[in-house]
Amino acid sequence: MSASPMARQAYSHATAIPTRKILVTDASQMPDVYSQTPGGTLYSTTPGGTRLIYERSFMMNLKSSPLSQTPPKNVPTCLLRGQPNTPFPKKPSPVSRSPPKMDDQEQFIMDL
Amino acid sequence: MVLSTASDAENAEKKTSGRDIKEDSKDQQQGAATAVTEIPPECLIRHPLQNVWTLWYLENDRTKSWEELQNEITSFDTVEDFWSLYNHIKLASEIKAGSDYSLFKKGIRPMWEDEANKKGGRWVITLNKNQRRTDLDNLWLDVLLCLIGEAFEHSDQICGAVVNIRTKVDKISIWTADGQNEKAALEIGQKLRDALRLEKNQLQYQLHKDTMVKQGSAVKATYVL
Repeated sequence: MSASPMARQAYSHATAIPTRKILVTDASQMPDVYSQTPGGTLYSTTPGGTRLIYERSFMMNLKSSPLSQTPPKNVPTCLLRGQPNTPFPKKPSPVSRSPPKMDDQEQFIMDL
Repeated sequence: MVLSTASDAENAEKKTSGRDIKEDSKDQQQGAATAVTEIPPECLIRHPLQNVWTLWYLENDRTKSWEELQNEITSFDTVEDFWSLYNHIKLASEIKAGSDYSLFKKGIRPMWEDEANKKGGRWVITLNKNQRRTDLDNLWLDVLLCLIGEAFEHSDQICGAVVNIRTKVDKISIWTADGQNEKAALEIGQKLRDALRLEKNQLQYQLHKDTMVKQGSAVKATYVL
């Protein structure tokens, strides 16, 4: 995603990144490839490498996007909205995770 | 936000709390220039973030050592996955007194001892009791958006941010990697002051090595904005 150290050195001074705004009026104007943005490619080469920067207002607009509503996995119930502040579940003790000891078990005898 | 098993699209249409309605109408005004289609085009893809971020939760428990108190909750690397998490978890003002939320770049633990934090420090905003109701959640969200959106010129210096919920004063702090890097620290501080619309002297930079030996207001402020 970022340029090589050599390329970075070559562009050690700050250079404005050219941007342009594309107005999309219909879904048919959207590229059919996810890696592309309307009007061009998202991952173009910029001096010193590309950094993904988002403005607050842009991100706020995405808050109500259908993709932003998926309930997160693996979040304990006590941290979910509307749930009581019960104690955070304790991690299972490392002892219970270790495999049972086999030392004192007798080796089975194979019938030949 | 009410949890339901309805599909994502239905959820998006439901505005269950008054706060959400107010925020959304504000957002729509800002987005008025974009054309209205059935699904806005920017909602068709997930927007990748520059960094992978991990949310941590600390809960006070006297029976555990401090390191054990930190719980790694989940990680995300798109704007939409951030919102999926944020839209469902408790606000900072809703978690127990004595608890912390921390958001750090994946691989950095929210501790002074971590290799990435050792030489670092933090910009601290101290909030009084009343501000928990009025300001805390908005400020914390704006800090999160500055982090994941890479709002800082020296964003490589950012390690993460912490919100401490305490009985007396709440604190929001933004952790940076190198306390000696004055230029980076001040740029980050200035950007924070603008983004959070803070008044003068509300931001103090403390080195972790100073915080380690002193407590509370006795900690020396290396920079003040």
